Formats: sequence, structure tokens, C-alpha cells
Amino acid sequence: MVTDLPLNNAVDGRVNKFHICMLDDTDKHLLQLLQEDFPLVESPWRELSEKLGVPEQHVLSRVKNLYATGVIRKLGPVFDLSKTDYNSTTLVALRVPDDKIDNVASIINVYSNNISSAVGGNVSHNYEREHEYNVWFTLAAKSKQELTDILNEILQKAGLSQNDVLNLPTVKRFKINVNFLVNTVATADGALGEFGFG
Amino acid sequence: MDKIDELLLSELARGLSLTLQPFNEVAVKLGISVDEVLLRLSNLQRTGVIRRFGATLKPNTIGFTANAVVAWNVLSERVSEVGTYFSSFREVTHCYERSSVEGCWNYNMYTVMHAQSRQIVEQMVKILAETVGIHDYVILYSKRDLKTVKNKEGT
Repeated sequence: MVTDLPLNNAVDGRVNKFHICMLDDTDKHLLQLLQEDFPLVESPWRELSEKLGVPEQHVLSRVKNLYATGVIRKLGPVFDLSKTDYNSTTLVALRVPDDKIDNVASIINVYSNNISSAVGGNVSHNYEREHEYNVWFTLAAKSKQELTDILNEILQKAGLSQNDVLNLPTVKRFKINVNFLVNTVATADGALGEFGFG
Repeated sequence: MDKIDELLLSELARGLSLTLQPFNEVAVKLGISVDEVLLRLSNLQRTGVIRRFGATLKPNTIGFTANAVVAWNVLSERVSEVGTYFSSFREVTHCYERSSVEGCWNYNMYTVMHAQSRQIVEQMVKILAETVGIHDYVILYSKRDLKTVKNKEGT
């Protein structure tokens, strides 16, 4: 179980950047199954409970706990945007004065929840990074023209010029596979043995 | 994708409900049977619209506290070979070729890496760089997830 997070963190769903949650072996196994092998059946927790050897209700309460402490961000379908209408994608980097980062971020975030379809929004990722270009976000739209229009809209609202922007459209996707080996992290001895290349 | 598929995905995109039979709830909302919900989901998975069905984790909570985008300057004739090689590593979760910006940003290949420390990220990057013989790259560590920044109205 997740044991070391104070309740106030659990309430607003945020976790301190350097706060690693303590997970037991069942949690780790559960996270592995939830990431790669979620059963698309009428009673998914029952199927998981059989694999984990714990009661169905325990599986569900563990999942709720992992949500509350912020380990699980989302549970559901992850789309391949290239197979939807939103198949024009780009990565954008902005050069923003430090004291304006939050303001610019909130302008960008409006576009993360602005589409009433399953895709949800034009923006899927938005990170502050340690570089002269310090705000990086991904943008998806129905056409190249729409991408440009949205980007210009954001720049205008943020009061940024074209000189402060890198627009880096996707040419080819080689790989996307976000599946963390939970079993190899946060172990008692801190061994990184399985985390090598291979 | 038909209209029902779209409604189904919109419903699930908000997150699966944490109830004993979560798909039944969706079925009731859409006025279709749970068997149809499950059949439609497996079809959407088979055709690739759903790339993956499952949990998305926050890397820092499970020990992956060093998260970086690495931008590489790769000769165009080597993009295919290098992209395939980079993609073969489990630690590389994303690998994309992107347009560069002439004269100001020559990087055209991007890898995303997650590790327990910056030291490990740097070791991995060094191995990648030496293996392919490409030394023009920049490591862009993530400092903060800006999606959590609220706007002035607090919504």
C-alpha cells in the first residue's frame, strides 16, 4: 500500500516532486498489469484479483489509493492521434521570462481541455524545462493550418513574438511506449541492476 | 469510428469509473449492452485508434525522478538507422523525428528518457551518443509539469 504520503497531498492529488511513494509487491504487480494488460471484461477487478491473489475489493481499494496519492494519473484509453482527426502534431518550445511562466502556462492549459470529443484538447503535454527555451508543449490539430492558427493565438495571448518560439512539427514517430518497470524501482536496496540497457 | 464509438471514447477518456463493473456503467449511459461496449473497445484497439488501454503513471511517484527530452542533431541520411536504434531501448519511451528550424535549432530527433537520477540519464545518453557517434545533442530536463498550473480564476 502507499504508506508515506500525508493526507493533504492525497486530497489535491499532487505529490511532491521528490517524494517517492512506498509500494509493496502487490502494488507493483498491480501497476504492471494496469499499465500493459488491463482486462477489457465486465468485471476487470475480479480478473486482476485472480492474477494477484487478493480479493476483488482489495484490488479496487488499492487502485483508489494509488489514484488518491497521485501514482496513477489516468486509467482509460490512450489514443493514437495519427488515427484520429487530430493527426497534425507538433512540439512547441517557448522562451518565456521566468516571472511569466505561470501566466503563459495557464494560457496554454486552456487548450488542454477545449474539445468536446474524446481527444479532450489540443494540448496533451506542457512542461517547464531547464533551458533558455523553458516552456515545452505538444499540440495536435485537424490540419497544419489549424496548428499554426492555435499557436499564433497562444503567442498573441501570451505577448510573445515569433523570435521566442520553436515550432517542431512531427515528421516521423519511431516509438511511443510509456510502460514503467515498477518492479525495478523503489526497492529496499536501491539496486538498479535490472535498469541497465538490453 | 461511428457516433457510438465517439461517445464511448469521450465517456472513457475522462477515466474509468472505480466501481466493480465499470463498463456496465458506460453501457447504461450509452443505452447499449456491456458486450457491445467491450466488443467496440477491442475493435478500437485492434484498429489502433486506442493505442493502449490502461493506467498512465506519474513517473516521479514511482522513483523516476529524472525525466528528460534529449534533442539530437542527426544527418538526414542517418535518421532511419539512428531512430530505430534509439527506439530499441526500454528507457527511451518516445522517439520522434521532427523538423528543425534552420539557422537557430538544428536538432531533428527527440528521445524522451526516464530514470532514477540525472546521473543515470547522462550515462544512458552518453552510451547512445557514443554508439551512434553523434555528439551534437542537448538534454532538456523537466522541471515542472505545467498542466497542473491553474489559471487566475482557479479553474
